[in-house]
Amino acid sequence: MSLDAAAPQLAERSWTGATRLALRVVLVLALLAIVVQAAIVVRARPQDLITGAYGMADIIRRAMPPDFGKIDVVWWPALETIDLAIFGTLGGVIMALPLAILAAANVTPSRFFYYGARGIIGFARAVPDLVWALLFVTAVGLGPFPGALALSVHSVGMLGRLFAETIEQMDMAPIDALALTGARRVQVFSHGIIPSILPSLLGIALYRFDENIRSSLVLGFVGAGGIGFELMSAMSLFQYQLVSLLLIVTFVMVIVAERLSALLRNRLG
Amino acid sequence: MLWVCGLTKRYPDGKLALADFNLNIEAGELVVVLGGNGGGKTTLLRCISRTLSPTAGEIWLNDTNLAALSGERLRQARLPLAMIWQQASLVRRRTVLSNVASGALGRYGGPWTALGGLPAVERRAAYDYLSAVGLVALAGQRAGTLSGGQAQRVAIARALAQQPQVLLADEPVASLDPEAADDIMRLLRRLATQEQLAVLCVLHQIELAYSYADRVVGIRDGRIAFDRPCTELPRDVVRQLYLSEAA
Repeated sequence: MSLDAAAPQLAERSWTGATRLALRVVLVLALLAIVVQAAIVVRARPQDLITGAYGMADIIRRAMPPDFGKIDVVWWPALETIDLAIFGTLGGVIMALPLAILAAANVTPSRFFYYGARGIIGFARAVPDLVWALLFVTAVGLGPFPGALALSVHSVGMLGRLFAETIEQMDMAPIDALALTGARRVQVFSHGIIPSILPSLLGIALYRFDENIRSSLVLGFVGAGGIGFELMSAMSLFQYQLVSLLLIVTFVMVIVAERLSALLRNRLG
Repeated sequence: MLWVCGLTKRYPDGKLALADFNLNIEAGELVVVLGGNGGGKTTLLRCISRTLSPTAGEIWLNDTNLAALSGERLRQARLPLAMIWQQASLVRRRTVLSNVASGALGRYGGPWTALGGLPAVERRAAYDYLSAVGLVALAGQRAGTLSGGQAQRVAIARALAQQPQVLLADEPVASLDPEAADDIMRLLRRLATQEQLAVLCVLHQIELAYSYADRVVGIRDGRIAFDRPCTELPRDVVRQLYLSEAA
């Protein structure tokens, strides 16, 4: 190809290069603008963090050493936190499973149930667990029970959606074969669908249990029991050594739950 | 036993898959359906099993017209009709025995089977069905661990647990090696002869049809090309079915 013939292509190429460069500059500027607006909206004041470091250091100093003498006070709230997660996960699974069946496009009995179930699942997920906890505290009073209810309802959002997606992705050939033997819809469900997807369902539920352990700590701050409630009380009473003990117990619980959940999920896989 | 009369199926896109199809199968008969791809073989089985609704025609199973039924009445009426596919379609995580016994679920209602339980009598009977297909030793094994031929035998045992009078088989040997294919066809032949099942089997292998069928039905463009006993059917006539497809 002669130079003259190649000239238009080269010009086109250089124009494309310039456009790409301009696009990159615009992209970088747009990202910068997003970061700056976020800093303005959250009223970021790094200088306050530096001047306030002394206060933080003072709290940490007063929290040391952790008050291991009060370990016997921590056991019960720790058990409450674990049980909140167990109850929340189990309650969530029990509510999410039938909703997931209705919300799975390949097994739902009708479009009405499909959209209804998807709506409930979406709503349960959209409302934060803290809001659910406040609602249930209003209804049944302070303590772990409203926290467990809040975790159950909020878990439906995640469990329902993931369960439904698991059902939608399953191999339908064995299900159709079972239906053609004359098995009723509920029998097809219990003998075909559940055995096929049980490991996936358990894996998702274990992952949610791990999440619920962490969520139950936060729920304690609004009076829903567990270690979170003790943590808030200790901080209000400036018992920082007890706070550090509670944080250590919390850390151990979260790590153990996370490892246990991962281990069981690996075994199921 | 099974009588198909004027069966017609037109798909929503306007394609005529079956046109005025007539077929009669008696107990103890093994009838093989041969034909090229897209000829209407699978549509025929799907219409008979009513997993597909025919556009017109009648499907008489004993004294009941399946084409006229729907819902619970169809489920009840279809119980004597079992089906096996190219793929065994077993629940892979359940045991072989549970898969076989689940073929009997249609005869049971109540909370026990609804909750995943199987009647003890059906679990015992499942051993007999597994024995009939020569796989009783694998009863406790997970279905997902079986070979293709073994899985297809288990699918046949599950069909037997349904206590059918008619067995529909849609290319049951298509994914099997020649030896396993021969085993499955021998088994279907034995079930037709000894258990007096009416077996309607879609195949692509002409020689298997000649080895095991009583009658061969040729299907082309949704219409019957021929319906004759094997002994009266020259191979050239059968090969004609596939010539137009090759051209």
